[in-house]
Amino acid sequence: MAMNIMSTTGCLLEMCDERFELEDYQGGVPRWCTGCGDNAILAAAQRLCRDEGLRPEKTVFVSGIGCSSRFPHYMKTYGFHGIHGRALPVAEGVKMARPELTVFVNTGDGDCCSIGAAHWIHAVRYNMNLTVFLHDNKIYGLTKKQASPTTPIGTKSNTTPRGSYLEALNPLTVTLGVQNVSFVAQAVDWIPEVLFDIVKAAYRHKGLSFIRIVQRCPEWLPDMFEPWMRDPDKVQLLHHDDGLQFSASLSRLYKNQLRHDPSDLNRAREIASSLEPIPVGILYRNPDVPCYEDLLRSDKLRTPELTRAVLDAEFDKYTIRPQGSEKMQA
Amino acid sequence: MDADTQAQVAFFLTGRRPSECLAAVDGLDLRPALFAGYRELTRLRYDFPLVLVGGRADGLFAQSLSGLVDGALETVAQGGEGERIRKHVLRLELEIRALAAAGVVKPFSALWDEAASRLTKTADKSFAEDLRRARAAIKFDGEVADCDTALPSRLLRHGWAAVQKQKAEAFHKDIGRLALKLSDILKADYERSDAGRSAKRLKAAVGASFGDTFDFDAMSRMLGKALPQDAFPPSRRKRICDLLDVFGRQQFFPALDAGTKPTAAKPYSFLFESCAEALQAFRDRMPMLIELVKAITVAELEIDGQYVESKHDALFEQFGANGLGQQDLARFPDYLVCVNAGQLQAVEQARLMEILSSSFPIKVLFQIDDILEAAPTGGSNLDTGVRTRQIANMAIGLNTVYVLQSSSSNLFRFRERVLRGLAYRGPALFSVFSGASAKASGLPPYLMAAAAMESRAFPAFSYDPSAGADWASRFFLEANSQPDLDWPVQSFAYENEEHQRVSEDIAFTLVDFIAGDRRYAAHFASVPRAKWNGSLIPVDESLTRERKSLPDKVPSLLMVDEGNVLHKVIVDEKLIGEARRCREMWHSLQELGGIHNSHAEKLLARERSAWEERMRQEVEAHAAQAAVVSAASAAPAAPEAASPPVEQEPERSADEAYIETPRCSTCDECTQVNKKMFAYDKNKQAYIADINAGTYAQLVEAAENCQVAVIHPGKPRNPNEPGLEELLKRAEPFL
Repeated sequence: MAMNIMSTTGCLLEMCDERFELEDYQGGVPRWCTGCGDNAILAAAQRLCRDEGLRPEKTVFVSGIGCSSRFPHYMKTYGFHGIHGRALPVAEGVKMARPELTVFVNTGDGDCCSIGAAHWIHAVRYNMNLTVFLHDNKIYGLTKKQASPTTPIGTKSNTTPRGSYLEALNPLTVTLGVQNVSFVAQAVDWIPEVLFDIVKAAYRHKGLSFIRIVQRCPEWLPDMFEPWMRDPDKVQLLHHDDGLQFSASLSRLYKNQLRHDPSDLNRAREIASSLEPIPVGILYRNPDVPCYEDLLRSDKLRTPELTRAVLDAEFDKYTIRPQGSEKMQA
Repeated sequence: MDADTQAQVAFFLTGRRPSECLAAVDGLDLRPALFAGYRELTRLRYDFPLVLVGGRADGLFAQSLSGLVDGALETVAQGGEGERIRKHVLRLELEIRALAAAGVVKPFSALWDEAASRLTKTADKSFAEDLRRARAAIKFDGEVADCDTALPSRLLRHGWAAVQKQKAEAFHKDIGRLALKLSDILKADYERSDAGRSAKRLKAAVGASFGDTFDFDAMSRMLGKALPQDAFPPSRRKRICDLLDVFGRQQFFPALDAGTKPTAAKPYSFLFESCAEALQAFRDRMPMLIELVKAITVAELEIDGQYVESKHDALFEQFGANGLGQQDLARFPDYLVCVNAGQLQAVEQARLMEILSSSFPIKVLFQIDDILEAAPTGGSNLDTGVRTRQIANMAIGLNTVYVLQSSSSNLFRFRERVLRGLAYRGPALFSVFSGASAKASGLPPYLMAAAAMESRAFPAFSYDPSAGADWASRFFLEANSQPDLDWPVQSFAYENEEHQRVSEDIAFTLVDFIAGDRRYAAHFASVPRAKWNGSLIPVDESLTRERKSLPDKVPSLLMVDEGNVLHKVIVDEKLIGEARRCREMWHSLQELGGIHNSHAEKLLARERSAWEERMRQEVEAHAAQAAVVSAASAAPAAPEAASPPVEQEPERSADEAYIETPRCSTCDECTQVNKKMFAYDKNKQAYIADINAGTYAQLVEAAENCQVAVIHPGKPRNPNEPGLEELLKRAEPFL
């Protein structure tokens, strides 16, 4: 007798569940430049919400500052357009207080890898159940072309008129080097089919899912991605029985494919280091890393009495008593 | 046939016992030879007594005294003092075992202290210290239970209570959460109401420190204007209040504040000693249970903001009309009924079958104290547990009942199966032989129970419908000793008349088991030593013989008297017939357990003969082939494995305009050019919605602007469009 069958009550309730369409998740009209890669990420996120039946009022998109961080405005869900570099701590706070919500984070290469770098490292280590989109267009776009940590060496920008001096930071290898890392993937905005598959796998992973999305900026770096766009062999698709599997039509176009086991961390680090070709797929996944919110979860009900008692105990630590009152008491 | 053999055969056939050749066994105080070593159980280390550990609903809910002591010794009996500590602690264990056997009912810690105080009076100082250290290493405590008449019900009740405690905790956690969230909804509504935003209320919320700083009347007026328009529907308020009321009234679990709130409803009892009463209680309480399950479900929807009256009102109106499913019932207490087979009347028996045929979560302990009672019909067969064993077999036939049959001596080994049965979602039957009838024969119940299981009179097995879909997963018979044999065989050593050690293998049969019961003494006759001859053969051997003429061999068994002197006892044909019947029943169980399965063996024999035939033909074919020298054609190659179907792309002509939609990155470039010509599909990816809605120039422009170059403009449809020549040139890279 199968014991995992759904109860009749459960079936009846599910029958009444609301079904959503893509339009139910579409917020304001995007103000991104025409041709911007952010549009592809938005389409993938909206499709995910629809396909997974995420209830808009139980879904939150949290962002920092930058082009990418306008994302929550375009989703008809809850959103928090935060402050520069602090998308992750805000999202962690939301998840901690309301663990039943589905929380996504949209952050850019400047937001995450520069001013928010410390938060990024610790968010990976905390491994809270969040899906993080790193929109990496390798430039500060909203402020009109300044070099970001991921800008390739030699790129001329308003802050580096003679070309940038430093090697670009690789967000994948950094993330894969942090303790407790549990999901790292790389996508490119111009292969929407794979982008969607990765977003779906990331959402279904329990823990912090970090997706770096290489995203075109036609406005400020129109030629930067041309070589990859023109030559499909410059993209290497990662496939595995436990990872992604690609359709035949996609495989006809993208012939450069590599079988990679997402549970192999060392190999993931090796592949992540490759700048040419760009690896696309799931680099690493470990479902056994515990989530911080689960480790701290208490069975105690948060009743008003409990909240008051804890607060009182805290306030008592700082109570200022009139001088000499202790003596008097003694 | 000599006169002695003749007398023995006559006894075998008729039960007549001529006094000059055979002696009665009454008064000899004989017991089966294999029992010789178990005269004083308290001197032995075995599974009993048990410590029924409180608060555990896992395999540690019952632990053996020896196991606890061994665990402690592993920790403390180390180094040079190890041996001394071991000796002292084992001495104490012996004392505790003796106390438990004497009927002292106390918790383990109290029994330990009592035994220790008895022994330390005469012992040296190190003794008390060793005991103290060992005691500190034992982290468990609970009632001590020996293997006696009360054991089955004590163990079952103990395990059942642990499972129910777990359920109660989970229930209170759930209900507490739901009640808190529901109260929060009502509280939030109050805060939004006029009363909640009154000046007085606002002042109270700010507190005394800054009470004079604000103008609360003004604040109240201002906040009043900001009250949301969508008022809280009164029907929702009533629904939530009703739910809280149902939670407060429930009697299935004791209320958490029952101690401080004398008005709290008295919780139901789920322990019964009658199947009829348990069944009646289950039915009487069903409406309340449906109400509670419904309230919990509605509450979950309410706190999630999902309750929609237009949809859910009708759905919940008929809620539970067909009763509740096992999953809904699983979170509520199970009923435990303890009945004794000896006192079971016809009505009760009918109710028991009703329970077992239902899907209700009612667990029944069916305790059997005597499996050798006389048959009520007085027929030619002895009863030997057939009537009582039928219950377990019938329950298995129902397919959805968790069935466990075991002697009480084996219950400790079956502890996890007992728990599994108690946690099972449907009805469960625990058929347990306590061995209590043995007292009349001067045997301890443990020995009688163990012998019943060993002799196949009361085999142990379990049937768990939740373990899988087939018998191999559900049925477990391996707990019986040497399950692949008809009778378990043990080595038995004794000293012969020449004071030499002799060892022989003895099968322990049903007859050996019955021989330990004084009520059946008439079926046995002791053969004086002088008359031991070659016509005496072991019972198991006699069972393998089929009698076709006058028997010349008589089944006999070895027994010992009080002084452990060996006797040979012959047995009459009636008991041999019983043993045969018992073996038949054991064979049926073996088949269910996959041992000597006749279907499998038949199949195996058929396959083997087919294989042998194939081999024979192959050998012949090879021989024939070798004879034909020119037959050298290669065998046809095996057909290639079918290749997976390849997705076919639609054939496109270069003249046709199209978009590779799956590759579109939703960048808005084309839709900006012409919203009617280009549109997004359900996945927000572009396609040509209407080729006639724009010009060829727009198609070419969109192809040029497309970030991922997935727009193919094809050939112009209007040959009169201006600038076609240039447009065709621009379109070339995208065709």
